[in-house]
Amino acid sequence: MVEANIKISAIEYCLGEKKESGFDLQKDNPDWKIEDIEEKTGIKTRWIASKETTAVDLACKACDKIFKKVDRNKVDTLLFVTQSPDYFLPSSSCIIQNRVSLKTTTKCFDINLGCSGFIYALSMAAAYIKSGFSDNVLIVCADTYSRYIDKNDRTNRPVFSDAGSATLLTKSYSKRVGPFEFGTDGSNYDKLIVKEGAAKSSFKKNNKPTLYMDGAAVFMFTMSIVSKSIKAFLNKEGVVKEKIDMYIFHQASKVVLDNLQRVLELPDDSIYKNIRDLGNTVSSSIPIALKDADMNSTIAHEELILISGFGVGLSWGTCLLTWNKLL
Amino acid sequence: MISEQTVIDTVSDVLELQNGEITSVSSSENTEKWDSLNHLGILISLDKLLNGQAAKIPELATATSIKEIVTLLNKNIDG
Repeated sequence: MVEANIKISAIEYCLGEKKESGFDLQKDNPDWKIEDIEEKTGIKTRWIASKETTAVDLACKACDKIFKKVDRNKVDTLLFVTQSPDYFLPSSSCIIQNRVSLKTTTKCFDINLGCSGFIYALSMAAAYIKSGFSDNVLIVCADTYSRYIDKNDRTNRPVFSDAGSATLLTKSYSKRVGPFEFGTDGSNYDKLIVKEGAAKSSFKKNNKPTLYMDGAAVFMFTMSIVSKSIKAFLNKEGVVKEKIDMYIFHQASKVVLDNLQRVLELPDDSIYKNIRDLGNTVSSSIPIALKDADMNSTIAHEELILISGFGVGLSWGTCLLTWNKLL
Repeated sequence: MISEQTVIDTVSDVLELQNGEITSVSSSENTEKWDSLNHLGILISLDKLLNGQAAKIPELATATSIKEIVTLLNKNIDG
């Protein structure tokens, strides 16, 4: 496993332009019991991209924000995590490279992962920097799942938001990122899936890409496999759970966060939640949570943070961070 | 072992139904309130009741009848 002397130097993010409340859901779905839904999801507000805005647009906005703080010319690698690309080809990262004026010597590629994507990208950034192949890696995550969700979809619409984030990884004097733990269970690939639009679909008319989630299956995956993986990871690394100052899980939904906390037997003040006013922002949820937690001093310099992402694939990844104050 | 009555009581509690409204033949197919949202509630209640043993059985996600739940739990839990 990679344990590089790298650190997260800066994080910036942006959200979809339209703020969506329970009232908006109720207007389209008079039969929904909004209070019951909000109690389970823990989400009061979602952020939806306008019809003209793509994930690449959100990515570029997040990049523009981070380049107010760091020199874009120092970036030599761009990893773009998305499942809402502008095109089948080319890679959206190539479009972003041009749009945000990164050097043409920048290595750019897309990573097709969802809620575990940030952890995977982080490990790749660590490996690139540790190997000497890169010095400054920009991880950009962005998705517009709302494009795949029907207005009457009670499973997905109350949960997902559109967002983009940019995270800069640089060298560090001390170890701040890692170790990592990963896993994949492709046997359940169809539990969270957009079937339409790619090679397996028929390209018939009315073949609109639509997100399908088997909520109970994904929930049980989180409770059984993800929690087991985190326990095994901590055991393997010889870290007792009380040593972790803050657990920042993928902000899936309140019911997932509450039950992960219960199954892992974590105290209330050790688990970060910002889902109420943001919704589930897919691969951006962990960098957004890290940024918010840093900004509001929920996490502090030298504290030990466990981050864990899980979802579509089914795929999961966990990492330990020794925190440093962001730029 | 978990009894069928315990599962019936748990499902009744989550769905806020009276005694007798959930029986051994109840399922999501024939019980209006047993929707996907409440199915999560059933899974969580069972897990709490069984001290975390239900969370170790991913197959419970697709067990949407009293009979299926009882069979799966008794196949997988200790004691």
